[in-house]
Amino acid sequence: MAASKANSMKNTPKPAASVRPKLAQEGFFGRLSYFSARALANLRQNVFVSLVTVATISLALLIGALFLLVYVNLEGLANGWSDKVQITAYFDKEPAPLAVAALKTTVKSIPGTKSVTFISKQEAESRLRARLKGQESLLEGVNADVLPASLEIRLDREHRDNFAVTHYVAALKKVQGISEVQYGEEWVQRFNTFMNFFRLMGLLLGSFLTVAVLFIVSNTIKLTIYARKEELELLSLVGATRFFIKAPFLIEGILQGALGALLSLLALAGCYFAFMHNAGSFLGVNPAGAGLTFLSPLHLAAILGGGVLLGFIGSLTSLRRFINI
Amino acid sequence: MIQLHNVGMSYQPEVAALSDINLKIPKGDFVFLTGQSGAGKSTLLKLLYAELTPSRGQVLIDGQNLTRLSRSQIPLVRRSIGVVFQDYKLLPNRTVLENVAITLEVLGWGQRDIGKKVFHILKRMGLESKLNSTPLRLSGGEQQRVALARALVNDPKILIADEPTGNLDEENKEAILNFFKEANNRGTTVVVATHDRRVIENSHRRVIRLDKGRIVDQGEPSLPGEESAEVPDGSVQG
Repeated sequence: MAASKANSMKNTPKPAASVRPKLAQEGFFGRLSYFSARALANLRQNVFVSLVTVATISLALLIGALFLLVYVNLEGLANGWSDKVQITAYFDKEPAPLAVAALKTTVKSIPGTKSVTFISKQEAESRLRARLKGQESLLEGVNADVLPASLEIRLDREHRDNFAVTHYVAALKKVQGISEVQYGEEWVQRFNTFMNFFRLMGLLLGSFLTVAVLFIVSNTIKLTIYARKEELELLSLVGATRFFIKAPFLIEGILQGALGALLSLLALAGCYFAFMHNAGSFLGVNPAGAGLTFLSPLHLAAILGGGVLLGFIGSLTSLRRFINI
Repeated sequence: MIQLHNVGMSYQPEVAALSDINLKIPKGDFVFLTGQSGAGKSTLLKLLYAELTPSRGQVLIDGQNLTRLSRSQIPLVRRSIGVVFQDYKLLPNRTVLENVAITLEVLGWGQRDIGKKVFHILKRMGLESKLNSTPLRLSGGEQQRVALARALVNDPKILIADEPTGNLDEENKEAILNFFKEANNRGTTVVVATHDRRVIENSHRRVIRLDKGRIVDQGEPSLPGEESAEVPDGSVQG
């Protein structure tokens, strides 16, 4: 037995005579397929650590995504309130029916105008009467002539902030025949202050959350790579280039990031639809009627891309610490 | 050819791990590096495969100055050197086959060629039945042979081993030494660090003695293939 093994050893080729087989990693696709296969094998061989990473990425992104969902809906709701920004332009004298059309065209040509409605003296009176129904005695002696004719103007969403409204009103006052302009200045200011505050808070909270997510994910990846630093060291000692060592880890990071992001989106969708389905019974409101929406495809793509980027950059920065062997 | 010129190594300022090392190991030589613990054996070996850079002096492998290599050139040098580490450095979550295959994967070999070559060497080491075991399920002697297979699978020009017989019984020691001799017979330069006197005395090879980081005895270069008649060539323990 020993003798036959000894013979077989003596017959083995000498180092110089050994033939180097065809490389499997030649070309871009050859390398990519090798590194991807290695990354998948690594995920399989380190199931527990991989699952912890995916779960951490998933939870961290879920917190961010939930915040985004709440923010987007609150902003949508608040933007709805801005529809109440309305400008009323009063006339000294009621313009002739033909002049009304010309006036409307002039006003419409001012940038930011969304819609213009003419309210005649008669219409103003009937509105007032409708509003004071049951208290008709108050309107004794009031006729249409007392009330001015007016234009009710709504603005585009982009022209509802303080500066734009003031600018618009100045332009409106130049239109001939208009004597007075009212637009609930105080309300517009308050609303815009609230919106600015809301956006600032959103930005601050969003930034804190982003930093927290980055911190958690990068440290988790760092720990998982630290747990495998012997593998990194060994690969380097047997002559692997830094790219060869890094590539499978980076692909692993991308896969973990993508999987984490997908799971977080699934959980987010689960939370959202569960809320929509059950909110009626415990909140006493119909969430569908309140105009709540899910995240747009762009937001979903951003979260998915964010996950992939987190996995990639987290792995890259962590590897940098260990691959200086 | 391995050459060290005036090599000095300090891990901390004023504490020299190696000083004034001048050494030539011709191609195909079989050398034992010996000395007490802390004499600098492992440090000297690490300089040879560029895990450490010397604080002073030059290390040349086949005329290539390791101290002047860029980071991207070091992997290329390491590919021609097989190393058996003192702690084996086997990856616990990979099988024996995968552990040995790493050396060839790094070179870019195809899976089929890797499979053949790894199976062949593991068979020579008597480990063909352990292909799919993980290292933790193997005995110390078996783990040592897997580490040796990983170092030799690529037919390296130089084989370096750090205390390869440290934790082994006599039978396993002999088997491991026989693999070294067999590699040496095929032209590989072998450098083995050990403090095991019996291993050195039985082999009748060149012995370089280190003490407190200095070479105290260079020994005589031995010719390739020259060895003691007491140890039968190629008697492998399976």
